[in-house]
Amino acid sequence: MITDHTLLGLATIIYFALFFFHILYFVWKRQALLAAVQYTLYAAAAVQAAGILMRWALSYRLGIGHAPLSNYYESLIFFSWSVSVFLIGIRKRRLYPIVTFIASGISLVLMAYASLSPGVERGIQPLIPALQSNWLHIHVITCFLGYAAFTISFICGALYFFGPNGTIPARENLEDMNYRSIIIGFSMLTSGILTGAVWAHFAWGSYWSWDPKETWSLITWIIYAVVLHLRLAGGLKGRRIAVLSIIGFASVIMTYFGVNFFLAGLHSYAT
Amino acid sequence: MSATKNNKTGNRLVVRALRFLVSVRLTIVTLSLIAATSIVGSLVPQGASREEYLSRYSEKAYHFIKLFGLDDAYHSPWFYLLLGVFALNLLLCTLQRLRRLTGPAERHTGDLSGLVSAGFGFVTSPLNKGEVIRRIGPSYKRVRISERIELFEKGRLSRWGVVIIHTSVLLVLAGGLIGNMAGFKAYLVLRPGDEASAAMSRKPGQSAVVLGFRVRCTGFRVTLYPSGQPKEYASDIEILDDKGNVLKRGRIRVNEPLSYRGIYFYQSSYGRTNIYTFTGEGRTFELAEGEAARDAKVPFMVVRHADDVHGLGPGVMVAYMDPDGARALWFLEKVEKMRSHTLKGSRVSLVKIGGLYHTGLEVSRDPGVPAVLSGFVLMLAGLYINFFTAHRRIYVAGGPDTLVVAGTASRNREAFRKEIERLGGGIA
Ligand code: HEM
Repeated sequence: MITDHTLLGLATIIYFALFFFHILYFVWKRQALLAAVQYTLYAAAAVQAAGILMRWALSYRLGIGHAPLSNYYESLIFFSWSVSVFLIGIRKRRLYPIVTFIASGISLVLMAYASLSPGVERGIQPLIPALQSNWLHIHVITCFLGYAAFTISFICGALYFFGPNGTIPARENLEDMNYRSIIIGFSMLTSGILTGAVWAHFAWGSYWSWDPKETWSLITWIIYAVVLHLRLAGGLKGRRIAVLSIIGFASVIMTYFGVNFFLAGLHSYAT
Repeated sequence: MSATKNNKTGNRLVVRALRFLVSVRLTIVTLSLIAATSIVGSLVPQGASREEYLSRYSEKAYHFIKLFGLDDAYHSPWFYLLLGVFALNLLLCTLQRLRRLTGPAERHTGDLSGLVSAGFGFVTSPLNKGEVIRRIGPSYKRVRISERIELFEKGRLSRWGVVIIHTSVLLVLAGGLIGNMAGFKAYLVLRPGDEASAAMSRKPGQSAVVLGFRVRCTGFRVTLYPSGQPKEYASDIEILDDKGNVLKRGRIRVNEPLSYRGIYFYQSSYGRTNIYTFTGEGRTFELAEGEAARDAKVPFMVVRHADDVHGLGPGVMVAYMDPDGARALWFLEKVEKMRSHTLKGSRVSLVKIGGLYHTGLEVSRDPGVPAVLSGFVLMLAGLYINFFTAHRRIYVAGGPDTLVVAGTASRNREAFRKEIERLGGGIA
């Protein structure tokens, strides 16, 4: 029988192929390989979406129906998917193979970690009452789209220090893409924090309670707000923006992974 | 003479202070300090006891934590000071920008030929004016600037994006302040049938919040998943006036609070109190943990419950006084022989262990919420307007033998350059 795990496993394999096609492209530089990369990216995202939908359907069959956005495993899958959706979203304008290469590597690692790590509970779990809210969906979706955008920003920031050369695009282009990613990430993270606050208002009677996850998302938000101001009003450019986008991403990592592992709080859903 | 001089330096100081207060540099500093405090606050346990801190940190570190209020970082005076400075900075900066936006419109055309050479314009014959205007299309608003120059403009609202975002942050901060000053957070624990007219405050040192009406719990229900985890729990609540008239009735679920006169009741937790039924000497005693049967022939007290005593099922420890001192015995519900004991010659039996649910309600009043929520809406609108719309201006300047078409865009200039190229396609 085909289950969500079958489809998500298939998606992981497609991510592996995507990663591999990139390497072939870097070696041979054939346009045909670039087209293969593009279609493999679509395929990975589509199969992964099917896996997520399948999991959603299965949860209803188990009588504990809920969108698959509620535990650590599901969030890893969704994170990986968001990165691909983000790549597909900006595809039309301008996308560099080196960026999709690293991003697909990250998606692959996330998927492999989600499906192989013994520390990750992969079953469909029933939802505790506090999580039974429509705000949960929009909260999680916006947060992870934000994280995905910041991942791309991080890739652009990191690549800034290695290029430009045959594979790494010019610095202005990286900086431009970095900025675009940050404004999308910042808007999404803001939406995520605000919808989370509205949800907390209804679930706990308090829209902000300084729990570690909330606090770290605020810290991340402040870092990117500072980046935007330094850029626009402080005229900051180039290297420093690149460094700041790496710091911002470190804070994203802390918000997403670190808090679950190091700090306890309302959000520390089962790992 | 010297007085005017003093005045002048005084003025200069004021000007400098003001310039500092509206500066983005101050914003960066305060925001960074707020973030730094938040990091510390997330790492150091908040509101723990002296003993807990000393078990984690040295005596010296504990004094440091206390000195800077890091045990309650988000309510420490200097965190409030930071927020205050930040709010002032934001307010002044927003007012300044507002003045610039509402001031005399900048209609000057700037350097059109410079725009043309930068690729944001072209030169064509005056005969093409009609065609250019047709191509610009109706999405641009047409403004006549002078005899010669016409401006086509779109997305003027985009210039307001930053002001809208900044105002929204101020609104959220104001809402937080209002909630902090005029609101309260408290909780209530009720068993079905219980009534309360005050709730326990969450603020240390403040014991009860008088509600001004009575709250009665008429029922509580919990449904479980097969795994035993709670699936849903809900309390039936009545709001009563002093005379006992029901003013409002409703069911509170998690995520579905009930409000009355601005006070919200949220389902936050539940628990179970065990009730132990004993018989002895023909009488029945119903006791909760910690309660004593004082009027029994040999008084006894329920000391401790255990779900499982050495694999023999649930049991309860009972204590009584013997001439030799206090004695304790386990009564086990599921084991016939252990259901009864003789206390100093008096036979006592455990009939059953029953349970009674109680509901835990969060009670809060936060008059700042409307401001906070409208701040949220405004912030999202502002972000959209600022980041995803652009102010585009196209000037059409006609001369006797040339027509200059050139424009500027506040963001996404590449797309705008393409638009200008399309405008000039075949005629430039
Ligand atoms: C957490 C609070 C704040 C948030 C979320 C925020 C947000 C923003 C955003 C999103 C932008 C637009 C950036 C861009 O388009 O790339 C901006 C611009 C700006 N902000 Fe803030 N801001 C905040 C606080 C402040 C404060 C306190 C000041 C006071 C000086 C300030 C001054 C400015 C200035 C001068 C600009 C540039 C406007 C321009 O040149 O067009 N901001 N802000």
